[in-house]
Amino acid sequence: MSASARRVPGETRARPNFIWRHLIEPYLYISPALVLIALVMVVPLVIGLSYAFQSVVLLRPSAGGWVGLANFAQLWGDARFWRALNNTFWWTFGSLVFQFAFGLGLALLLNTQFAGKRLVQALVFLPWAVPTFLTALTWSWLFNPVIGPLPHWLAALGILSEPFNILGDPALAMWGPITANVWFGIPFFAITLLAALQSIPGELYEAAEIDGATPWQAFVKITLPFLAPMIAITVMLRTIWIANFADLIFVMTGGGPANSTQILSSYIFTTAFRKLDFGYASALAIALLSLLLAYAVVLLALRRRFVRI
Amino acid sequence: MKKSVGLAALVGLLMSTAAYAETLKLVEVITSPERTEVLKGMVEEFKKANPGTEVEIVSLPWGQAFEKLATMVAGGDIPDVVEMPDRWAALYAGSGQLMSLEDNIAKWQYGGNLTQKTLDMGRLAGGKAYMLPYGFYLRAMFYNKKLLAEAGVANPPATMEEFMAASAAVSKLPGKSGYCLRGGPGGLNGWIMMAATMNGTNEFFTADGKSRINEPGSVAGLQFLIDMYQKGYAPKDSVSWGFNEIVAGFYSGTCAFLDQDPDALIAVQERMKPEDFAVAPMPLGSAGKAFPTIGFAGWSIFNTTKSPDKAWALVAALSAPDANATWAKRVGVIPIHKGAEQDPFFRTPQFAGWFEELNSDKYVPTTMPTYLEQFGYFADSIALETSQQALLGDMTAQELADEWAAFLTEEYGKWKAKQ
Repeated sequence: MSASARRVPGETRARPNFIWRHLIEPYLYISPALVLIALVMVVPLVIGLSYAFQSVVLLRPSAGGWVGLANFAQLWGDARFWRALNNTFWWTFGSLVFQFAFGLGLALLLNTQFAGKRLVQALVFLPWAVPTFLTALTWSWLFNPVIGPLPHWLAALGILSEPFNILGDPALAMWGPITANVWFGIPFFAITLLAALQSIPGELYEAAEIDGATPWQAFVKITLPFLAPMIAITVMLRTIWIANFADLIFVMTGGGPANSTQILSSYIFTTAFRKLDFGYASALAIALLSLLLAYAVVLLALRRRFVRI
Repeated sequence: MKKSVGLAALVGLLMSTAAYAETLKLVEVITSPERTEVLKGMVEEFKKANPGTEVEIVSLPWGQAFEKLATMVAGGDIPDVVEMPDRWAALYAGSGQLMSLEDNIAKWQYGGNLTQKTLDMGRLAGGKAYMLPYGFYLRAMFYNKKLLAEAGVANPPATMEEFMAASAAVSKLPGKSGYCLRGGPGGLNGWIMMAATMNGTNEFFTADGKSRINEPGSVAGLQFLIDMYQKGYAPKDSVSWGFNEIVAGFYSGTCAFLDQDPDALIAVQERMKPEDFAVAPMPLGSAGKAFPTIGFAGWSIFNTTKSPDKAWALVAALSAPDANATWAKRVGVIPIHKGAEQDPFFRTPQFAGWFEELNSDKYVPTTMPTYLEQFGYFADSIALETSQQALLGDMTAQELADEWAAFLTEEYGKWKAKQ
């Protein structure tokens, strides 16, 4: 027991140092966590960012050095970068729209009561459990006219002139990985939106029904506003994930034919691990990071503006 | 006291096992389950002959091998012995990471039995034998006898014109195509071969260091493949075909011609009757010559190894005539020792095409300029993208040739500057 703990009766109870209590002590308590976060997140991030301003070629460490903005100047004039950026947009947008539409539909369906609902629910979530590598391989075989049924069905429906592999056609190749990605990504929206749907109070619908609202009005005036916060956050997360998600493309088309399915993240991979140019790859990564950050900021601002809950 | 004695004993034990059980790390990069089994068997033999030496085999799947090995090496997890494909040799030899095997080969009992080609290829990157090749991949033309007969083509094509005409004839059959074109990964060999054959030379660079790929003859060679695809003599999706797809295209009877190495023979023989196909030499160009590409892979030792003698002993064991013959038969390469073609295994009609190419002066085996540091990137990324653009009509043969020439000339300049 220290002497200070035992107070003499009647002693003035002076407030301990204000600076110590409010500015130093709390931060000492959380400092282990701060140090840990700095070590595992900030340090690698800063090192990664710093590569963009250097020449880093993996097998020639001696040739490295600071090059200023040279990597970014190269990026500006790089036709492959602009092409990959354009592809990234279509890949993300195409996958997201269908994933969201089907996911929402499925969630609405699963929110009703029908026989065998539990089984359907389990099946619906299955794609989420399949490794992406396997998903990609399976879909690429499905698109192969020698052994897969899809080209023959598409030809029979008149969508294709003859059964051929769309993965080999630059105008259509992107639809291959997008299809696989839609199949893979529906459960995410279905799960999260179903959870949000189940939290909407039933009385609201009853009241609406008494007031004579049509099902469409109930959907637009009750369901959508209640789902909006969840939609905003899931769409934002999913956009970022899809934009960074090159596994399906890598296995199904390898970015080809003729770069028609190369997206930014697969281009970053090629630059880093085939060209072994980590400096330029890092500059590309910064471009992608900035775009996604800007997107997230815009989406969050929109959410604050339009979503009232 | 007791504690410290126990600790000393433990340290002693650890040190003694470290001294006795020497472990060599062997990385193989062109893998398949069967191939790894063969390698394991050969390594077992080595371990029996060298008690106390352990060998840890790391198998990297070919698709990701390049970046995995590069990352391993950059991260300090450097193997002792590595299977080195020709196209990476310059990268590692150029950065001074490989051990020269010259002295070891000179002292080796089988050193004098190696063919001159083996030694030349081993020295291709960096001038010294930084690898001991284990065999060669030489291109020749597989053809489907049944399809040719149906299309009314009597003999396999001897010239490029006949090749185009025969492909056109087969493509008239419903659902069939002439040529299993490799437009996807690994397609560069085909482009280079056609360019050299039409240009009448397999020199890559002129005396003043310019790439010859955009000379008119070479451009005609590139145009040849573009025509083949655009006229429909190759399947529509062959624009993205890699090795597995072209071989499957051939044995499934989808297309009648396939230019490939002996390693394709393994899969083809399993699925086709010997009387339904054969292998002819590559068709000749206007100069009366053909330039089939020859590729190779071998064993290299990293100079960071702690036991260079043991590592060499392992390479020597894998490369001894008996072991090499076993390996060559199982992985589909042409062996490295003199007199190997006398082996009954290689004296079949299927192998005739390759040995005719090796023995006739009409055929000049062509090595790719793998000594250029960025060659792997050129072959796997730049050439792949741009050749697909050309096949699809987004780029002319001349534009394709000019783009390649610019890259190769610059890389050659860098290489020259270092010599």
